[in-house]
Amino acid sequence: MQTISTDVLVIGGGATGTGCALDLAMRGIRCVLVEKGDLTHGTTGRYHGLLHSGGRYVTKDPQSATECAHENAILRRIMPHCIEPTSGFFVITPWDDESYGDVFVANCQRTGVPVQEISVAEMLRREPVLNPRISRVFEVPDASADSFLATHSVALAAREYGADIRTYHNVVDLIRVGDQVMGAIVEDLRSGERIRIDCAYVLNAAGAWAGKIAAMAGVTVTVVPGKGTMVAMNHRMVNTVVNRCKLPSDGDIIVPIHTVAVIGTTDVHVPDPDVFGIEPEEIQFMLDEGEKLIPGFRQYRALRAWAGVRPLYKDKDVASDRDIPRTFKLLDHEARDGVRGILSIVGGKWTTYRLMAEQTVNELARRLGNTQPCRTASEVLPVPRFEHRAHSTVTVSPDPAAQTPYYWLGKPLALVESEHAAGELICECELVTRERILAAIDAGAHNLDDIRRDVRMGMGPCQGGWCIYRTANLLYERRCANGLTHTNANEAIMHFLQERWKGLTSVLWGDQLRQARLDELIYVGVLGIQYLRPLAEPGGGLVTQHPAIATEYVQA
Amino acid sequence: MYDTIVIGAGLSGMMAAIGRAERGEKVLVLAKGYGATHWSTGCIDLLAGCDDPFHGITQLAAQRPHHPYALAGPTMIEGGIARLRAICEAAGYPLVGNLNRHMLLPTALGALRPTTFAPVTMIAGDARQLRDGRPTLIAGFAELRDFFPPLIAANLRAQGIAATAAQLAMPPVGRQRDFSPATLARLCEQPAFRASLGEQLAALARQGDYARIGLPAILGLKHATEVVRDLQNRAGALVFEIPTLPVSVPGMRLYQILEDEFLRLGGRIQLGGFVQRGESISDTLVAVFSEAAAREQRHAARRWVLATGGILGGGARATPEGYVRETALDLPLQAPAGRAGWFAPRFLNEEGHPIFQSGVRVDERLRPLDAAGRLVYDNVMVVGGALAGFDPIREGCLEGAAIATGWMAGMS
Repeated sequence: MQTISTDVLVIGGGATGTGCALDLAMRGIRCVLVEKGDLTHGTTGRYHGLLHSGGRYVTKDPQSATECAHENAILRRIMPHCIEPTSGFFVITPWDDESYGDVFVANCQRTGVPVQEISVAEMLRREPVLNPRISRVFEVPDASADSFLATHSVALAAREYGADIRTYHNVVDLIRVGDQVMGAIVEDLRSGERIRIDCAYVLNAAGAWAGKIAAMAGVTVTVVPGKGTMVAMNHRMVNTVVNRCKLPSDGDIIVPIHTVAVIGTTDVHVPDPDVFGIEPEEIQFMLDEGEKLIPGFRQYRALRAWAGVRPLYKDKDVASDRDIPRTFKLLDHEARDGVRGILSIVGGKWTTYRLMAEQTVNELARRLGNTQPCRTASEVLPVPRFEHRAHSTVTVSPDPAAQTPYYWLGKPLALVESEHAAGELICECELVTRERILAAIDAGAHNLDDIRRDVRMGMGPCQGGWCIYRTANLLYERRCANGLTHTNANEAIMHFLQERWKGLTSVLWGDQLRQARLDELIYVGVLGIQYLRPLAEPGGGLVTQHPAIATEYVQA
Repeated sequence: MYDTIVIGAGLSGMMAAIGRAERGEKVLVLAKGYGATHWSTGCIDLLAGCDDPFHGITQLAAQRPHHPYALAGPTMIEGGIARLRAICEAAGYPLVGNLNRHMLLPTALGALRPTTFAPVTMIAGDARQLRDGRPTLIAGFAELRDFFPPLIAANLRAQGIAATAAQLAMPPVGRQRDFSPATLARLCEQPAFRASLGEQLAALARQGDYARIGLPAILGLKHATEVVRDLQNRAGALVFEIPTLPVSVPGMRLYQILEDEFLRLGGRIQLGGFVQRGESISDTLVAVFSEAAAREQRHAARRWVLATGGILGGGARATPEGYVRETALDLPLQAPAGRAGWFAPRFLNEEGHPIFQSGVRVDERLRPLDAAGRLVYDNVMVVGGALAGFDPIREGCLEGAAIATGWMAGMS
């Protein structure tokens, strides 16, 4: 067995884990990061994309609110290409308690969340589809963020600083000798090879899966996987994040992100982060709630529904799941459980990933005798090559796409038009060009789902009708010389079609049902993919159905 | 006032319209737009999962008396196909095949798909011929995003066919453009484009000693047979087309031939008319209203053919609450009760998904029935994908069922 030696082994390739890897590497601490799937495979890749102003937490969780407000300003500075500065409204609808408005403003001021009341007329001028019966509006610095791209940018920076980041590496076991954790045995899911990683510290940043990792070291960490279901709508009916001005609950936020608007979320306790389903009632409930913010919300086309599992950490003294704070906690298992060589970073949210990493790495650096200060709040993150928008941030061009480092709706189109690349669109719904898909494949995307996370291929209204076929073929043509066979390519298409189907069935009616039938005509009627079943098998580096990373979907 | 108005311009509607027009009626085809013909392969699929399609249909009809094939019966199936073939033959675009035998034609993924009749431009790709051991070339353009030769060739090789892939250079076309299948089909009708293509094919055929060359189905819109013949002469090898992702050029050809024939017979087509509701006197439908620019338009006729398709065609529409509605006349539909029964957990589930069997229940003369089995309209016939109780895509009878029931409405 190959053995690697490092200072810190980070487990988990979500926002927190990659953030920690970057902070460690920047301070010159050697680290290896292992992630059982692709980067953002877990909860980071399954949230609504809100860069919190903190407004949602001002009353129930003031510490989280302050942290969010602080980090919000930093992230805008270090990753502008991942953020669309949409701004955000908290609105009081006829269904909400009028008196909460003043409480909200007072709590914003107390927690440091910038807030300003605007008139309903001004709100309707900016967002004409919002309910005119809304009585008060408060503006806060919410924004939408691309968590896939952000994590890739952080990982890229970490690698440039020397971190060793390994996706599709599953932790099989932690090595514990007496009361000391010495490292881990991990399996490369693509080759089946096992590697031993020796380290001074294991950092458990596995999010909703942190309890499972901790158990390998013989310690108990209670993570309550809180399932949040979201629905992406076909239109950006608003260009501003819209929150109900009340205590956070289900279906009370609409986030415009890229080409869609996402309504979220529910919060349902599930026993296992790998096994959950989406109930039809959840979807109908959220559409009804959307109707309160935007009359006619139900008439828009629902594109897909998905769920992520919040990694809520339950302290020993918290009685009810509902009262679990959204802030994060660094667990020192030596002080807590008498087991040395392992720390767990649990809880938190995407917006505060950097702060979580800073505090975690401060503690690790102190123990390792490293005195370098944290620099992640000031260094601007690099842009991955598959991210085409990158070019606009560095070239001097008269094109409007080059004028702002931020993402804005229309930027991808402006770039496609400025480069006359319309004939090269592989995914027409999301304006993804052949060049970007090939760059994502070359950057190491291991299957169609990785490419989807990288460039949004297959996430538009047609749900992959054309681009699944096209992308699978590009993947095959690019990798067939490196052991990817036609049987792997056939399997990749079938698997991706099935993954899409899971996200679709709960929102299929009307036009979207018709679209699904057209996709069936294409794959079953025209391409005859069912006749290729005997010629389909996993492999060739396309890790898709390994039990370690497969999420079991419970048909509701 | 028309004798017959056919609602829907897909294969079933056009067959019905041609049938009525041939009998001297004044006929209008009133449709929201083109039908599913433009999305399909351009082949005539009768029934998958059997060796002898006609025999398979007879068995199916005996087991499932409400299936469109059972309602239409063998005379209408044979008669409709014979009439369609005669029309295509006269248009110089023969449909080749045999009622008792499948062809296995390669798809754009390299699967071998059973079909019963195929345009003459595709038949050199029949797997029986491809398996003769002589080398086959699969060629395409990198600029065409809906056809990728390497995976097609690799999958064909795995099925015992000596196939190789090659990429063709796009002949000079003046300016950079979006190369959709339809754009390329129009280019193929230009002699200079075809000459350059033929030259490349000839060079490749010589190099690899290829007996035949499979190309994306983009070889001409109006003169496909001549384009293929010309390319074969130039290349010195057989040429066959493989259907691409939609939009389907062979589907466009088929529709155009049917439209030409219908117009020749004196029929009238109005596209862009989305029928919203009907007007009736007891069980007689007297008029329908279509949504036109800024107003409703009333259309009156003595007889009607409803050929609006199912969920795919837009003739049936499902609501989030779990109901399915017939969009043109609000006819009662047969559909699974509630969303819980709509879908199978696996997308590629062999039997398909129950929701897609939703449709109008009819009597033995294709007239619509309600849930209790009572006649709704005496002068309306329902054809093709709008009918209940079958899944044309999964059963592999998309065109066959449309032709059989469409022709029945055209003849009765």
